[in-house]
Amino acid sequence: MTHTLHRYGRVDTLNDDLVFLSMSAKGFANEKGSAEKMKKTLEIARKHNPVNMGDMKTGNLLEMSIDEIMRKVTDTSIVHAVFANIEAAAAFAKEVKEAKLGISLVVSAPFDRAWKVADMAGCMGHTIEYSGGIWGRTEKLPAPEVLEFTTMCGHGMISRYLVEDVIRRVKAGKTNVVDGAREIGKQCCCGIYNPDRSEKLLKALAAKK
Amino acid sequence: MKIDPELCVSCGECLIYCPLGAIRLNDVAEVDQEMCVECGDCIRTGVCPTDAFIYEAQPWPRSVREAFSNPLAEHKETRVPGRGTEEMKTNDVRGLYGRGIIGVGVELGRPGVSCNFHDVETVTMALAKAGMKFARDNPVTANMDNVTTGKMNPEILDERVMSAIVEGTVPIGKLAAAIKAVKEAAANIDTVFSLEFIDRPEADRSVPMEKILKEQGIACYPNGKFNLGLGRPLVQ
Repeated sequence: MTHTLHRYGRVDTLNDDLVFLSMSAKGFANEKGSAEKMKKTLEIARKHNPVNMGDMKTGNLLEMSIDEIMRKVTDTSIVHAVFANIEAAAAFAKEVKEAKLGISLVVSAPFDRAWKVADMAGCMGHTIEYSGGIWGRTEKLPAPEVLEFTTMCGHGMISRYLVEDVIRRVKAGKTNVVDGAREIGKQCCCGIYNPDRSEKLLKALAAKK
Repeated sequence: MKIDPELCVSCGECLIYCPLGAIRLNDVAEVDQEMCVECGDCIRTGVCPTDAFIYEAQPWPRSVREAFSNPLAEHKETRVPGRGTEEMKTNDVRGLYGRGIIGVGVELGRPGVSCNFHDVETVTMALAKAGMKFARDNPVTANMDNVTTGKMNPEILDERVMSAIVEGTVPIGKLAAAIKAVKEAAANIDTVFSLEFIDRPEADRSVPMEKILKEQGIACYPNGKFNLGLGRPLVQ
C-alpha cells in the first residue's frame, strides 16, 4: 500500500520530511530471515537521529521504546524511520547500502531531495511513484492546514478533529507546540509521522492571527 | 466498536479522537455503527478514563471494515499489514512495473473521508472497461465477484471502510484511457480518492509516464516515493 505517499503541503514544509520504509518481498528469496535485516535497518537508523521510527505491525517511537519495536519485528513487518534533514537521511541510506542487507529501501520526499539522497548514498533510482492528487467530493476534506497534519498518517488515523483542537489550544497558549505535535503523532501507529515538521507547522499557525 | 453505557461517564474526551467523527455524546457517548469503520483508533488512544470501549471481532460482511481500516490488521490474502499490496516498495525484487507497464492506484476514501464499496465498484468497473489489469494480491481484487468487469461481491457493497485501494497495471498506451475513466468516475462517487502512478526512470532520469500525466491534466505532487534499489536479487 501507499501509506508514505500523498503527504500534503507546500514543498518548503516537506523538504525536511524524509520518510524511509524497508521490507522484504513476500514469497521471494529475501523474505526468509528478513526480520533480522529489518532490525539491523532500525539499528542503523537510530544512530542517525531519526525524529520517529516504527513498525507497521507494532507501533511508533512516540508511544513505545525502540527496543520494544525491535523485539517485535517479524519477517512480514514493514519498518520505518523519519529524518528531518537530508544529511542524516543520506548517511542512513549509505550505511544501509554498505550493510548489504538485500531488502528493499524506499524513501518518500520531494523528488529532487530523493535523487540527492540516492546520489549521496551511492544508490540508484529504481522505481518512482507519483501522487496525482485528491479527486471526487473534495468539499468533504478539512482545511488545507489540517490536511498537512492528517496526511502524515497514510492510514487516516490522525483525526482532523484532534488536529483542529490542538491548533486551537496552541493558539490559546494552553498547549505548547512540542506537546501538541506529540499528541497528534500518537495516533499514527506505524511511525511515519514527523513530529519535527508538525512543531514547525504548529508554530507557524500559532503566529497567524 | 461500541461503548459500554454502564461504564461511560459522559466526559466527551473521546469525541475528537475518532478520525470520522463517529462518536456522539447523548446521555452517554455512543458510536454511530454505520459510520464506524472498526479502525480501533479510539481504543488505542487509551483516552477513555473508564475503559468503556468494547472491541468485538465482527462477523462477515462487517468484518471487512476492520480489515480495510485498522492498520495493525493483516490481510489474509496478502500477509501485508495495511490496505494494499507491496506495489513499488519491492519492485526492485518483483519487477512488476516499468519498461512500458504503468502501475495505477486509486485509493478511495483517502485522505480521512472513508468510503463504501458502492463507490469502490464505480471505479473498478470504469477501470476494467479502460483495460486495467487488477493486482492479484490486492484486498479489493480479492473481494471482486468478477475481475474482468470489476464487479464487487454484492455482500460487501454497503460496508464502510477508512479507505480501499484499487491497484493494477496498464500498458503505457492505455494510461490516458485509464485516467479519463477515473476522472469520469470521480463525478459519480460520494467520497474522495487519492490517485497514484508508478513507473521506472530512464538512465537520464526522465520518467516516461510524465508526458501522458501532464497531457491528461494530472498535476502531481512535488514529493512521492522512490525505491533505492537495494533489494536482492535485483531486477535490472
